[in-house]
Amino acid sequence: MASISLTQIEMPASPRTLKLVRRERLLVGAHILTAFFALMIGIFMGPFQTFHRSPTFVQYFPTIPVFSYYYQAVTAHGVMNALFFTTFFIIGFMYFVTERSLQRPLRFQQAAWVAYASMFVGLVTMLAVLLLEPQRSAVLYTFYPPMIAPAPFYLGLVLLVLGSWIASAILFFTYRDWKREHPNERVPLAVFIMLVTFIMWDVATIGVAIEILFMLLPASLGLLRTVDPQLGRTLFWFFGHPLVYFWLLPAYVSWYTMLPKQAGGRLFSEPLARVAFIMFLLFSVPVGVHHQFSDPGISASSKGLQAFLTLVVSIPSFMTAFNVGAALESAGRNNGAKGLIDWVWKQRWSDPVVAAQLFGMLNFIAGGFSGIINASSQLNATVHNTSWVPAHFHQTLGSAVTLTYISVLYWMLPAIRGRALFSKRMAVWQAATWFIGMTLFGLAMGEAGLNGAPRRSITGTAPYVTEPMRFWLDVTAVSGVILLISSILLYVNIFGTLFLSRQPAPEGEVPITTKSGDTTSPLWFERWGIWLGVLALLLLMAYGPVFAETLDFQSGWNIQRYVPSSNAPMP
Amino acid sequence: MELNRIERYWLLAVTSVLGAFAAATIVAVAFFGIRLPSPVDRIDPRNLEQTEFARPGIRQLAGNRYEAYIIAKSWAFEAGPGLGTPPTLRFPVGSEVTFYVTSIDVMHGFQIEGHTANLELVPGQIARTTVRFNRPGKYSIICNHYCGAGHHVMYATVQVE
Repeated sequence: MASISLTQIEMPASPRTLKLVRRERLLVGAHILTAFFALMIGIFMGPFQTFHRSPTFVQYFPTIPVFSYYYQAVTAHGVMNALFFTTFFIIGFMYFVTERSLQRPLRFQQAAWVAYASMFVGLVTMLAVLLLEPQRSAVLYTFYPPMIAPAPFYLGLVLLVLGSWIASAILFFTYRDWKREHPNERVPLAVFIMLVTFIMWDVATIGVAIEILFMLLPASLGLLRTVDPQLGRTLFWFFGHPLVYFWLLPAYVSWYTMLPKQAGGRLFSEPLARVAFIMFLLFSVPVGVHHQFSDPGISASSKGLQAFLTLVVSIPSFMTAFNVGAALESAGRNNGAKGLIDWVWKQRWSDPVVAAQLFGMLNFIAGGFSGIINASSQLNATVHNTSWVPAHFHQTLGSAVTLTYISVLYWMLPAIRGRALFSKRMAVWQAATWFIGMTLFGLAMGEAGLNGAPRRSITGTAPYVTEPMRFWLDVTAVSGVILLISSILLYVNIFGTLFLSRQPAPEGEVPITTKSGDTTSPLWFERWGIWLGVLALLLLMAYGPVFAETLDFQSGWNIQRYVPSSNAPMP
Repeated sequence: MELNRIERYWLLAVTSVLGAFAAATIVAVAFFGIRLPSPVDRIDPRNLEQTEFARPGIRQLAGNRYEAYIIAKSWAFEAGPGLGTPPTLRFPVGSEVTFYVTSIDVMHGFQIEGHTANLELVPGQIARTTVRFNRPGKYSIICNHYCGAGHHVMYATVQVE
């Protein structure tokens, strides 16, 4: 199959050069640009949702210009931002990091384009169904049965996941080849994180693949007349929680392996970082039931166990806070910080690559703490399905992850295009306004939720809105204005760099590490079979009872499928 | 592989704090009786005749204890005749009410404003929660799970007097 030998494939002169060879520009560039195209569609839906949710705004603008279809917009916002943007970006970024760190081209170059094509057709299919069937495809990005969307909705997701599986296989084989040549070396940390990310992803996607292939897609095609909603939710969240770590870990690649150098410091402890990522691998999957604390079909004991495991999975993020925090302190001290905390502001805030990550981290502090609140199963009853929940995940995914991906874009886009970033200053302002907007959004949505405002609902016209709820929903709309400005700044810079920038791309270095700086962690950390075995045991323990409760073979009832527009049973 | 001294302290601090949170959760269950929803029973949503949901509404048990059977459907809560649309459920101050709720079409939600009652209504499952109403007032029961185009107008009211 591999007709051309890998040695003939063009590689950059140095793994650290910012100059991309043509092959990299095409493959990595295609993924990154497609990702930010998907984000562009999703991101601009967001502010209009905050307007739609604000009673005062709706009072003055009863028909909101553009995107007047709230539930359709929420669906597009979730599907594009959380599923398509992230997956395209992560795969492109991980291809780049893996090739450069291991100093070898990806195994199976053509297969990488097959994977891309699959995901791209998935994206086009999804966009087509969202545009042409907006009413029937408004099932949100969680698509719980028995609400059933038109078949292309699921087909688009199947193609996306299929492409990601091919990509993960390519990455695994590339690593295996490297490992055979370097049996006694530790793989560079960035690649170690990449492996954890995709092993976890492959395990997690089994849940959603079963849900789509055996329940939703056949139901949508009319092959299946009935579905079990409780089972569907359980399968979705088997996938849904590791999904958030799939988003987060590539951001950690940047924080652990790139930011210390970008900020002018050094990482505190690489062995401890590896321990943290093994914990992510083991504990990010057997915790999905913490999204189902309020479900009637799962016993309190299963929920309690997964609540406990959720607290365990927060430990590696605390380890990250310490490790990356220490790296930033060393950077601040190199910049002349002397006191206890002046290293916090003695950072390279005028460099958008550093500033965007720092702002994202600040949001992540609030996101982490609100996450621990959600994990505490009893507190969940207060915040479940309220706007507190989107407040939480916009501090994590919406800020920490998104701003970090944007920071990668700010150094990678010039390299892809061969032109300097359109405006560095605009990029810093973009990150700053994003931070301000998201902080206000988190505060307002959180407060609205504590006052009872439900998530993903047109609260702007809901009959049950109370005074405090109304106030905080209006504040959310203000945060929407700030985030709209920030989004415009982002895309002016992207299009400016692509089409208007005349300056050549700066000569520079990518903070890639080709040799592991870690000489003390045990080599068996890379015996992935061990970790898969432990993970299987944990899954059996945490999910065995849940599926035993959820599966129902004998009671004889089943649920008809519904379409969201009419909620009448389908013929 | 060695751990730095400060790293050790940090890990110790983090695990102690998280251990305290886990302990708080156990205390909430064991001593304050805050329970998560647990399976009650399955139900065929197209065939409620043989069940308590054939007659939705409020049943008074001994003293200040009540049961309320409520059906959720797109896009209303149904609590039987005589309670109005959307329904208003009236209870005296100090009542302890056990709600039994089920959905007959898509996913719905059930949240009582200002009280610790928050249920996912999964078609085919009976959801149950017990609430004590100590403060007089009007509280909305909000559908907090997306259920289609009329989701945001789906609600009911509890009047405590």
